[in-house]
Amino acid sequence: MSDPVTPIRPVPITTDHDTAGFFEACARGKLVVRSCTNCGAVYALPRDYCRECRSWSMGWKEVSGEGTLYSYTVAEHQIHPAFPVPYTVVLVELVDEPSVRMVGSIPGDHELEIGTPMQVWFEEVADGISLAQWKVR
Amino acid sequence: MSAIDSTERTHRDRCAIAGIGVSEFSKDSGCSELALATRAAVAAIDDAGLKASDIDGVLRSDYDTVAHNDLADVLGMTNITYWGQSGPGGIAPCSLIGQAVGAILSGQANAVLVFRSLNGRSGQRYGQASTKRQAEVLGGRGTYDEFFTPFGLMTPAQMFGLMQQRHMSQYGTTAEDIGAIALACRRRANANPGAQMYRKPLSMKDYLDARMISRPVRLFDCCLETDGAAAVVVTTTERARDLAQSPAVIRAVAHSSGPRIQPGQMFPALLRDSITSQPARYTARRLFELSGLGADDVDVAQLYDCFTITVLMELEDFGFCETGEGGRFASSGALELDGSLPINTGGGHLSEGYIHGMNHIVEGVRQIRGTSTSQVDGAEVCLVTSAPPPASSAMMLVADR
Repeated sequence: MSDPVTPIRPVPITTDHDTAGFFEACARGKLVVRSCTNCGAVYALPRDYCRECRSWSMGWKEVSGEGTLYSYTVAEHQIHPAFPVPYTVVLVELVDEPSVRMVGSIPGDHELEIGTPMQVWFEEVADGISLAQWKVR
Repeated sequence: MSAIDSTERTHRDRCAIAGIGVSEFSKDSGCSELALATRAAVAAIDDAGLKASDIDGVLRSDYDTVAHNDLADVLGMTNITYWGQSGPGGIAPCSLIGQAVGAILSGQANAVLVFRSLNGRSGQRYGQASTKRQAEVLGGRGTYDEFFTPFGLMTPAQMFGLMQQRHMSQYGTTAEDIGAIALACRRRANANPGAQMYRKPLSMKDYLDARMISRPVRLFDCCLETDGAAAVVVTTTERARDLAQSPAVIRAVAHSSGPRIQPGQMFPALLRDSITSQPARYTARRLFELSGLGADDVDVAQLYDCFTITVLMELEDFGFCETGEGGRFASSGALELDGSLPINTGGGHLSEGYIHGMNHIVEGVRQIRGTSTSQVDGAEVCLVTSAPPPASSAMMLVADR
């Protein structure tokens, strides 16, 4: 029998053309959303083209890091060794941009209430790679 | 584009399902997915009274490992003139029927085999995190997984848990309301010798006492994982009338994505305007328009049921009840055989087997033929849906009149 090995925590890709900017901001402790620099339209999932004004001038817009709990689920069936159950997956709506929701996770079993104010924090999961995480404010 | 050309380009009633076939549904088939597909295809072609050489089109789900040339060669089809696929995954079945109708009415094929085959329990299990989601670096390549899976949001049950929790909080839906869906499907499976849950009853206490998978999703809110295959043969209604079975006429078939569908795979559905209403809402409108039928005309429905909450959302999206009332509608007894909307009369994914929506089509045909093990008296209109979150397809099967 070999010694138990601490499972490797999987990390998000940080080199994707469309999404790298989000994780660059997370590494600097900033929460950003994809936004058109021409018309101001905001996109929950990053892309290069603005369907509203047909421009290609997308950028990253910093937001406050305040959110509202939109829904949650408590994972109780073990799936991935890096995520021991129970843990609570939260789906959070941004206060500044209500069309944008983000996912976070909180270790343990939490009975939460939808509408609860949430606050972003940044969890470094590997050298230079951080996740935008959410906790109850 | 708003009005649909309902005259010259209509497909209403012009094609029919002439043959159906299934393999055994089990936890371990002991054979390849190609062998399973072959069993179902042979059964469907025989059922129609056709020969493999009569089949000139083959359609598959994008999740299938079996391709058109595999089946064409193994079955001995002499010349296939049309093939294709749809997806992702569970959207495929009704969508493929739409492709078959399109191919037949445009003269590209005369008899099209539509199939789905998977070793969903002994092989790749969809209830686990997929292989790509077990990698050390997650996401990219347009999946947008990097915004979801690094947080441990990895399985369908977890995603549907978020949807179910929202519905329960927003509308007061209870565990017992949702349990009524699981129990209705189980009762139908108990009467179906081909179902994995044949003669295996489930009580509300069993349902409530079962372990949580991703709260509020309990064990029996999740579909089965199944080794099995199902197939159907589509041809013109006129030709089907001369074949071995009475035709299950395809009154109409429809797809819809709805607006702001979101890019990526699966989890981005959590970012749409609502997570308790799905593109099925748009599919329903289009299907009603194309078919000239409404929710009130449906005698029996085979509703895609990867999870119980999927069924609940479809009840609302197809207009069988008001938005938010799906739970109370389900627990009123409406979904039982003597209710206003009997569903999943073979047992569905929850209790017959998970053939990714294709077994729902087979059961829909049985209802129209009058041969279901839970036959709805006088059933002349059957709704069949193929509707996981990324988009949705559905059709109306009707008796030949």
